[in-house]
Amino acid sequence: MSNPEAQAAQAAHLALIEKLDIHSIHKTFRRPDWRPNQRRNKNIKAILGDASRKEASVIATPQDDSGAVTPAMDDGLSSSGTSTPAVPSSASGSTLQPNLAQASRSLSKLVLEKSLNAASSKANNGTSIFLGSTAPSATYTNIESAPSLAPQKRYCDVTGLPAAYMDPKTRMRYHNAEVFAMIRNLPQGLGEQFLEARGAHTVLK
Amino acid sequence: MAPSATEEMGSRREVWKTLPEPTLYPVKEAKFEKFVPPQVDGHERALAQGGGNASIIIDNGSSSVRAGWSFESKPRLAIPPIMAKYRDRKLGRTFSFAGQDCYADTTAKSHIRNAFEAGTGIVSNWDAMEHVLDHVFLKLGMNGVEGAIDMPIVMTEAVANLPYSRKSMTEIIFECYGAPGLTYGIDSLFSYRHNKGSTGLVVSSSYSATHLIPVYNSKAMLAQAIRLNWGGWHAGEYLLKLIKLKYHTGFPGKLNTSQTEQMVKDFCYVSLDYNNELSHYLDWTGLEDRERIIQYPYTEEVVVQKTEEELARIAERKKESGRRLQEQAAKMRLERLMKKEQELEYYKDVQRKLVDQNKKETRRLLDDAEVKDEAHLERLVKDLERSIKKARTKDLGEPEEEQAAPDFSLLDVPDDQLDEAKLKQKRQQRLLKSNHDARARAKAEKEAEKAKVEEEARRDEERRINDLEGWLEDKRQARLAKLAQIKERDRLKADLGNRKSLASQIRMKNIANLASDTPAGAGGRKRRRGGDDDDFGADDADWGVYRSVAIGANKGDSDDEEEGDEDLEAAVRSLEADLLEYDENFNYEQTLDAQKDWTKSLLHAFRYGPRPFDPGSAAETHRIHLNVERIRVPEVLFQPSSIAGVDQAGIVEIAGDILTQRLPGIAGLNRDDFLRDIFLTGGNTLFQNFDERLRISLKPLLPAESPLVIRRASDAILDAWKGAAGWSSTPEAKRAMVTKEEYQEKGPEYLKEHDMGNAF
Repeated sequence: MSNPEAQAAQAAHLALIEKLDIHSIHKTFRRPDWRPNQRRNKNIKAILGDASRKEASVIATPQDDSGAVTPAMDDGLSSSGTSTPAVPSSASGSTLQPNLAQASRSLSKLVLEKSLNAASSKANNGTSIFLGSTAPSATYTNIESAPSLAPQKRYCDVTGLPAAYMDPKTRMRYHNAEVFAMIRNLPQGLGEQFLEARGAHTVLK
Repeated sequence: MAPSATEEMGSRREVWKTLPEPTLYPVKEAKFEKFVPPQVDGHERALAQGGGNASIIIDNGSSSVRAGWSFESKPRLAIPPIMAKYRDRKLGRTFSFAGQDCYADTTAKSHIRNAFEAGTGIVSNWDAMEHVLDHVFLKLGMNGVEGAIDMPIVMTEAVANLPYSRKSMTEIIFECYGAPGLTYGIDSLFSYRHNKGSTGLVVSSSYSATHLIPVYNSKAMLAQAIRLNWGGWHAGEYLLKLIKLKYHTGFPGKLNTSQTEQMVKDFCYVSLDYNNELSHYLDWTGLEDRERIIQYPYTEEVVVQKTEEELARIAERKKESGRRLQEQAAKMRLERLMKKEQELEYYKDVQRKLVDQNKKETRRLLDDAEVKDEAHLERLVKDLERSIKKARTKDLGEPEEEQAAPDFSLLDVPDDQLDEAKLKQKRQQRLLKSNHDARARAKAEKEAEKAKVEEEARRDEERRINDLEGWLEDKRQARLAKLAQIKERDRLKADLGNRKSLASQIRMKNIANLASDTPAGAGGRKRRRGGDDDDFGADDADWGVYRSVAIGANKGDSDDEEEGDEDLEAAVRSLEADLLEYDENFNYEQTLDAQKDWTKSLLHAFRYGPRPFDPGSAAETHRIHLNVERIRVPEVLFQPSSIAGVDQAGIVEIAGDILTQRLPGIAGLNRDDFLRDIFLTGGNTLFQNFDERLRISLKPLLPAESPLVIRRASDAILDAWKGAAGWSSTPEAKRAMVTKEEYQEKGPEYLKEHDMGNAF
């Protein structure tokens, strides 16, 4: 850092960084008393796990105990259609079906939802009613596409070309003899990486 | 191979020279551009619009967060949802950045955190999300507003967002930023609305996932929506994996997903007929047009060219020092020679004096000279004479005369005629003679060998001249035999990896034999010879056992094995050289080298394209050749499980399922209404041919005469934001907004359903 050019560049860089920095800026639009939950960062797996645990506990305890859950939730008010009218409103908790959406439902939501629904049904000539009320609610997990039923094509793991053969030793698919020779000369473990790109690698648990 | 094919191949070695210079594309990756100053004017204009008419629109996408004002036609800023925060210990300060600013500094770069869970549209890092929102509000000129954001916010979220994620976001918007109102919507539905769609199938392939959502009368049928977990992020990761495997022997450039995502955008396209196009993708003809070469930055190794003068000086210096050494050595030799000559002079003098002396005097003289007896003296003189002569011949270049055979006279005399001293001398002579004979024998053998080789070459030559056909046939046979040997060797080598193979079994038997006290395997040979003596090693071939044992033991350092390879291949090469010279039916194409030539190699075409590859060139080793990948990566959307191992149906199958199974099951719907408007949006649908391919693939799934209209969003990337902006001022949007009061009364999980958003 002895030459002046480098020093100037560093100074300029520092100035830029200070200009870009948003830590030192006092943000007036933020509420100073905002104290978020320290453990709010959860990945999807944890969120789904927590939700299903919560759901299980809701089923186990009589539902009128908790104020958060509506006592008469299955009276067909929901536009999302998760309601199951077969369950009597005086239900003991055991007859409740395990449903993620139901488990986290609150009374207030139901009421307001109903009013909104009424409003929109007026606006849309009732189309939204029949669409909404017959369908089960969409959740993050149940809208995932199912595995394919179509016959699977086979492609070479190395070149991506159509593969007519499979090496029984490494389980890799290959296009021709040259690729096969290459596969057989791969260093230890690399074959698994090729398989991993296709999701066919062995997972040790 | 057909002759014409051979010819074509042969010319390929020359043909590439006629190809134009390859087009090289530079590497592109996400980088810092410039400082964006806060824009206060937007806020002022928003305030001027009057209460509740303007709102802040945030398209909270996993590739890019786009934010702006509802009354404008496009977002004010678009930043990646990343942040970096670190403490500079030297300055004692904490820095934090969001968006592209993270790329401005190397330390910041290494601290980048993404707000979204990798490869999904779900926010999982709320600290990062808050930073990104801070950045957005700062740049929108909200700083200065006391205590809270004074504009309602319309924000996009994932299809069927998790309740927890929505709750957390709502909490942040109301508790941290104190916004007066908040509305959530789905990006692809906003995009569809912006493109004036009312009934149709929305195919949205974005950065984190691909969704297919049927929309009826502007209302999304979310219960029929399907998600495929594949988007631009996955494509980038997949291409990175493919490139790493393609150049698994070591690519010197630094690869990252930001670059590969850019490559996917720039070079990939959807194939209209995947299997057909794929099978011919690596054909030599036209490969130069199909491949895309990306040149990574490299530094050319500079070989310092020394000038003529310098080289001469260095040579001179070397010569000089050599000469000095030589001079020194010569001087020393001369000194030694002189010393020896003096000694010789002295001993000769003694000898002269000894003549005609009595015994006593002789004894005295000999003692003075420290010599045992007269014979010793004589020997000393002789030795000195010889060594002086040798030194002379060496130093002064005098010719070496043929050494006379030593004197072996005593050998023929019987022992009993000799006295003690003579017997000793005889023994010495016998030793000398055997030495002498052995040397002569070796010399003769060497000469005989030489003569034999010469004779063989001569006979070979003679045979070639007299009987060319026979000679050629022999050479051909020999070549074939060698080739077979090479093949066999390779097979054995490959077999050693297999424990059940014959090669391995033989090897194990050898090991067991060597280890056991009574070798059983050698038994057969021994019995035949009838001796009990273990004559292991007498035959040179015996030692081959250790070799065969060692090969498998450590393949890595079997040097002699390598030599063996070289031998066989060299032999083949020399035979081929003969054939090339004299056999007119044998051309270069048939040689072993030509078989292994790059023009025959599919893998060469795959890795290095239609031109030769020079591993020594830094420029060429820093190149990535994309060919099959250009269609292979986008094809994953159509065949997720067979190409990338994503165990889900492809979009054609999903669309077919929705259109032919699910929708016809709902009473009151006309499927053809959906077929009339299949709408593509999202950055991952921008591939060339995407719409055409979808049409070609969907057609067979639908009844004949069905209408099928596929259209693209006018701006697949920004339309979601624009749609949200346009929608935000409608009465429906006003109704769907959750106000702060409602939030405070009903909690963070409260949500109003509307046409553009998720159902609860």
